[in-house]
Amino acid sequence: MRKLEMYFGPQHLGMVGNFSITLQVEGDRILEAEANPGYLHRGFEKLMEQRTWMQNFPLVCRINVVEPDHIELIYAMGVEKLAGIEVPERGKYIRSIYCELARVASHLFGLWAYANMLGFDTVANWAMYHRDLLLDLFEELTGARVYHIYIRPGGVRRDFPAGFEDKIVKTLHKIGSKVPDYNSTFFENKLFEKRAKGIGKISLQEAINMGAVGHAIKALGMKYDIRKIEPYAAYDQVDWNVPTRKDGDAFSRLLAIRDDMIESVHMIFKLIDKMPKKGDVYTKTPNPFKWRIPDGEAYVRCESSRGELGLYIVSDGGLNPYRVHFRTPSYSHGLTILEKALVGENIADVGNIMISFYVVAPEIDR
Amino acid sequence: MKKLKDKIEDLFDNVIINDFYQNRIFVKTNKESVVSLLNYLKELGYDHLALVSCVDHVEENEFELVYILSAYIHNEHENQEKTNIIIKTRISREKAKFTSIINLFENAEPYEREIFELFGVDFVGHPRLKPLFLEINYETPPFRKDFDTRKFVDDFFANIPIIEEIEDEK
Repeated sequence: MRKLEMYFGPQHLGMVGNFSITLQVEGDRILEAEANPGYLHRGFEKLMEQRTWMQNFPLVCRINVVEPDHIELIYAMGVEKLAGIEVPERGKYIRSIYCELARVASHLFGLWAYANMLGFDTVANWAMYHRDLLLDLFEELTGARVYHIYIRPGGVRRDFPAGFEDKIVKTLHKIGSKVPDYNSTFFENKLFEKRAKGIGKISLQEAINMGAVGHAIKALGMKYDIRKIEPYAAYDQVDWNVPTRKDGDAFSRLLAIRDDMIESVHMIFKLIDKMPKKGDVYTKTPNPFKWRIPDGEAYVRCESSRGELGLYIVSDGGLNPYRVHFRTPSYSHGLTILEKALVGENIADVGNIMISFYVVAPEIDR
Repeated sequence: MKKLKDKIEDLFDNVIINDFYQNRIFVKTNKESVVSLLNYLKELGYDHLALVSCVDHVEENEFELVYILSAYIHNEHENQEKTNIIIKTRISREKAKFTSIINLFENAEPYEREIFELFGVDFVGHPRLKPLFLEINYETPPFRKDFDTRKFVDDFFANIPIIEEIEDEK
C-alpha cells in the first residue's frame, strides 16, 4: 500500500489548541508520528527575566490557558522559597480549595474536549456548563473568569467574601448531583468503551522511561501524586486518596480523571470544614518595585491537573529573576509519549489519544 | 538523605554537594562525570528525569546545565520520591558542546532540542537536533543573555515595509 504524509493540525477539527502532528500513514495505520510545537511560542521565560518579581504574574498564568491557577501557585511557591516567606494558615487552606476548584474546572474542560471528540455532544455541553458554574465562582472571588492572578507570594490576594464557602458547597452539590447522569451517558456507555478500551496503551516501563506523570501514570496503577509525596498548601491537613487504574489505555485514563475529580470535590468539603474561620490570608511583602530577592536557586513542584508541574528558578540578588524554567507535564506527554503511543494506531484515534493524555499546546511552547 | 550524600562523595571526585533546602540535594560536578553520575543515580532508583535546563552565566563565559532527577514510587518505606537531586555542571560558552543523555532518559530528547535551539548548545549523539519552536534563524540564540530583545525588535520590525492604504473604490 502507498505511504502518505498527513498533517493533523493546527487547522483540524479534531485538534484542540495550536499544535500539529505530522503522520506517516499506510492505509489508515500510523507508521510514524512527529509532534510539531511552536505555534504558541511567546518566549515567556525570556520575558520574565526583564520584569520584576511581581510583574511576572500576568505572564505566568498565560502559560496554561485551561488552568492558570497552578502555574500561579508554582511561581509564587518558587519566589517564597527563594525569599523565605511563610504563608499564614488560612491562606494555605484558601490556596488548596482554590486549586482544587481549578482542578475540577480543568478536568471538566478536558471532559468537554474528549466527549466532543468522540461525538458525545450532550455530555460535552454538560461539562462546559458545569465548568461555567465554577468560573462564576472564580469571577466572584477574583474578578476574572479565566486568568485570575489570585495567588501572590506570601498567600492569596484577598479573603473569601462573606458566605462564599456556602456558595462553593452549593455549586459542587449541583455538579455532583449530575454524576450518575455522566456515568450512565458516558462513562458506562458501551460506545465510549468501544472507542477507548485498548487505545493508546503504554506499558509501565515505557511510561517511566518517558517521564509520564499525573493521570497517565495513575492509570497504570502508580500512586505518583506530588500532593501526597511532598504536601504543599494544606494537603497534609485532610485525609484523601490517590485514585488509580490498571490498564494504561485511554479508557482507564479517562476513568482516572473522573475519580480524581470526585476525590477533589470530597477534599474541598473536608478543607472547608477544617479551615480556620479567621486570620490573615497573606504575609506582607516589600514594595514590588524595590523588591530584591537574595541570590540562590530553587526547584519547587506541585501537582496540576495534568501531573507534576515544576519550576527551576535562579536569582542573582536583583530586581528580576535571573532564569526561570517551567517543567510542564504536557511537555513529555505531548512530545515524547504521544509520538510513541500513536504508532500502530488508527488515524481516527489520533485526537482520542492526544486528548486522553491531556496535551495542552501553550504549556509545551511557553 | 545523608547516606546518599556520602555515597556520591565516596564514588566521585570533584563533587560539591549542598542541601540547603529540605528534600533537595544540589550536586556540582565537572562535565566528565555527569553521565556516569546520572547512570549511577538511575540504578539507585532515581529514574524520573523531571527537567533539563540551562543557565547562561555570561560574565564567567560559561553555561550551566542542570539535570533534575527524582524517583517514582517503587519502595514505599524508603521515601526516595521525596528527594529531588539537582545535578549542575559548567561548560564553555564558545562552541558549547555536551553529551546527549537520550539513551539514559528518553524524555531528555525535547529538552536537549530546546536547549540547542534557544542557547546553542550542541548535544553529541542526539538523533534529530533540529529547531523545536522557532521559525527563523537567529544569529545569537535568543535565550542567551547577550541577545538584546529590544534591539532585535527595533531592527526586525522596522524592516517590514508599511502596507500602503488601499483607497476605497466607490
